[in-house]
Amino acid sequence: MVKIKNILLSNIVPIVFVVLCVSAIIIADIPINFLVVEIITRITRNSFLVLSLLIPVVAGLGLNFGIVLGAMAGQAAMFFAIDWGMSGVTGLIISCLLATVIAILLGFLSGLLLNRAKGKEMITSMILGFFANGVYQLFFLFFIGSIIPFSTKTMLLPDGVGLRNTVDLWGTLEGVLNNIWIIRMGQYGMIRLYMVPLIIIIVLCLFIFFLFKTKLGQDMRAVGQDMYSSEVAGIDVDKVRIIAVILSTVLAAIGQIIYLQDIGTINTYNSHEQVGLFSIAALLVGGATTRKASIWNAIIGVILFHTLFIVAPSAGNKLFGQPQIGEYFREFIAYAVIAFALAMHGLETKKSMAIQKAK
Amino acid sequence: MKKGLVFLMLITLFVSLAYASLGFKIGVVTGTVSQGEDEYRGAENVIKKYGSDIIHVIYPDNFMQEQETTIARIVELAYDPSVKAIVICQAVPGTVAAIRKVKEFRPDIVFVAGTPHEDPPIVERVADVSFNTDDERRGITIIDLAHKMGAKTFIHYSFPRHLSMELIARRKDLMEQRCKELGIQFVSVSAPDPMGEQGITGSQQFILEDVPRQLAKYGKDTAFFSTNCAMQEPLITAILKHGGIFPEQCCPSPTHGYPGALGIAIPEDKKGDFNYILKAINEKIVEGGGAGRFATWPVPTNMLFVEAGVEVAIKLVNGEIKSADMDAIKAVFDEVASQKVKGVGITFNRFSDKGNFYLVIADSVIFGVTEF
Repeated sequence: MVKIKNILLSNIVPIVFVVLCVSAIIIADIPINFLVVEIITRITRNSFLVLSLLIPVVAGLGLNFGIVLGAMAGQAAMFFAIDWGMSGVTGLIISCLLATVIAILLGFLSGLLLNRAKGKEMITSMILGFFANGVYQLFFLFFIGSIIPFSTKTMLLPDGVGLRNTVDLWGTLEGVLNNIWIIRMGQYGMIRLYMVPLIIIIVLCLFIFFLFKTKLGQDMRAVGQDMYSSEVAGIDVDKVRIIAVILSTVLAAIGQIIYLQDIGTINTYNSHEQVGLFSIAALLVGGATTRKASIWNAIIGVILFHTLFIVAPSAGNKLFGQPQIGEYFREFIAYAVIAFALAMHGLETKKSMAIQKAK
Repeated sequence: MKKGLVFLMLITLFVSLAYASLGFKIGVVTGTVSQGEDEYRGAENVIKKYGSDIIHVIYPDNFMQEQETTIARIVELAYDPSVKAIVICQAVPGTVAAIRKVKEFRPDIVFVAGTPHEDPPIVERVADVSFNTDDERRGITIIDLAHKMGAKTFIHYSFPRHLSMELIARRKDLMEQRCKELGIQFVSVSAPDPMGEQGITGSQQFILEDVPRQLAKYGKDTAFFSTNCAMQEPLITAILKHGGIFPEQCCPSPTHGYPGALGIAIPEDKKGDFNYILKAINEKIVEGGGAGRFATWPVPTNMLFVEAGVEVAIKLVNGEIKSADMDAIKAVFDEVASQKVKGVGITFNRFSDKGNFYLVIADSVIFGVTEF
C-alpha cells in the first residue's frame, strides 16, 4: 500500500497531466485523425530538443536554459547554408556541420561561465540566453550585409543590411528530412509517419543510453551526484561539466534544425526564444526533476505536454462557448501545470533532504 | 389546406433568411480582445450575420512564442470537410506554415490573410488574398490631409526605436518630401520612448507639455503626428485644449485615442456601431472648438479586413470573383464599409504588380466638417 502511494506521489505530475489530457480530449471532441497527426508531428518536431536537456541534468547542472544558444547556432547555420545556395539533404548536412561548430564554441563558453556559477546554473543559463539573444539580434540586424557578406538579397531588408523577419525554407530545406521516407496510414493516408526524423530520435536515445555506460558517462553521473567527492576521486569536474554543456548545446542546434525543417519558415528573431521554456516544460511534465531525468521522461513529456496544447483550446471553447475564454483557459491550464510541476519538485527535494538528514 | 401550405412556406423562408445559410463553413481566426479588439468584434459581427456557418477560433495571446499552437488551430479547421475558406486577421507568425500544411491535404480551401506579420512577399505567395494598411503611402496622404486642413507646420513625434523600423523611417522620409512639395515646414521631434526608463506615463507627460511649447513657437496652424499608440490620447487632449491640427492617429480608427481623450463611454449595445461613435466624437470636438481641426478614418481596418474578408472568401468559394481581380474585391470592401458608415471611400493598391496582396487606404472624415 505504502509502495503504491509512493509510486503515485513520485509520478504525480505526469498523472495529473494524463487526467487533464484525457478529460480535455473527451470534452474537445476533435477529429481523431487530427489529434493523431498532430501528436506524431509534435513528437518528430520536439523530441530531439527535449532530449538535448538530459545530459546536463545528469551531470548536475540542472535544466539547461542555455539550449537557446544551440537553437541560435542551428538557425544561423541554416541562414548561411541557404545563402550559399545549398538545398536538399546536402544543405541540411552542411547546416548541421556548421551548426555543430558554432554550438561547440558557444557551449564551451557557456560551460566556462556555468563553472563559475556552481549551484546557480539554471538562472545563469537563463540570463545567458537573454544576453545571447541581444548579441544574436545585433549580429543579424546590423552585421549581416554590412560587415559579413551575404549574397541572397531577397533575404535582406531593402537597404541591404539585416535579415528580414521571416526566412522561407520552401524549396530549399523545408521538409527535407521528413520527405525522405514517409509511411502513410489511415483514411486517405492522412496520418503520415516521417520515418527519418523518428529514426534520428531513436538513434539519439541509444546514443544517450550508451553514453552513460561509458567512462565519461559514469564520470558525469558521479559529478552530478557529488562534485566534491568526484574531485577527490580524481575526476576533472570542470572538464566533465563543460563537455556536458557542449553536448547539450550541439544537440539543441541539431534539434532546432529538425524542428525548423518541419515548420518550413524561420521567424528570424523569435523562433529560438520559445525553445528553452517549452522543452523544459515538456521534460518536467514527463516527470523529470532538476536532478533526475530519463529518456522516458522526455518522450512521455513531449506527448503529454503537446497533447494538452492541441486539445485545450477546443476544450475551453466547448466548455465556455466563447472562443476567447477558451484561449484564456488553455493558457491558464498550461502554465498553471508547469508552475505546479516546479512546486512539486521543490516539495520533493525538501522531503528527500529531510529524509537524508534523519538518516 | 392552401393557407396552411403558404404559412409553412413563409416559415421556411423566414428561417432560411434569419441566417443567410452559405451551404459551407468559414473559419475565422483572430486574437483575443487583449491583443486587438477590432478584429475580435469583426468576427462577432460576421457570426451575427452567418450564425453557425462561421467557426471562430483564437490564436494564442503570446503568439510570438506559441507558433505551433497557431499552426495547429488553423490546421484543425481544415479537418472539417465543410470548411471551404479560412480568414485570418491578424495573420501572426505561423500563418504561412499553417497555410502550406493545409494546402497539402486541402488544396481547395481559400485563405484570406489580414495584417500579416510575416514578410509580405512570402505571405503574398501562399495566401489567396491578403490585405494590409498602406502605411507607406500614408506618408503622402497624411500630409495632403494636413495641407487641406490648413497646416503650415507639421510636427512628427517619434524616437530612435521606432525610427529604426524600416516602414516608419521610410514613411517619415516620404512625409518630409511631400511637405517640401506643398510648402509645409516639417519638424521632427524626438519624444521619450514609452518603453524607456520613464515608461508610458513619462512619454504621455512629455506630449502634454510639448504641444503648447510647439504651438507657441510655430503658431496655431501646426499639425501633429506621433508614431506611437500610447501618445495619441494625450496628443488629442493637448491639441483640443491649446489649438493645432490632428490629421490622423498612428493606427487610424475612431476608437483609437478619441474616446479616452474626450471622455466618451461607449455603452455595451453601441460597441461596434461606428455611426454612433463618430457622432459622439463629433459632438465633443465641436463643443471643444476643434471643428475642422481633427480627423480620422471612419472604420478600423482590422474590423474591415475580417468582415470584408469573409465576404470576399464567400465570393471566391462560389466562383463569383477571382482573387486577382482588384476591382471586384474593392467593390466588396466598399459595400461592407458603407454598411458601417455611409459613403466611406477606399483606395486599393497592389503590393507587387501581379500579386493578390492588396494595400488599403480609407478616406478620412474631418470632425465638424463631414456630416454624420
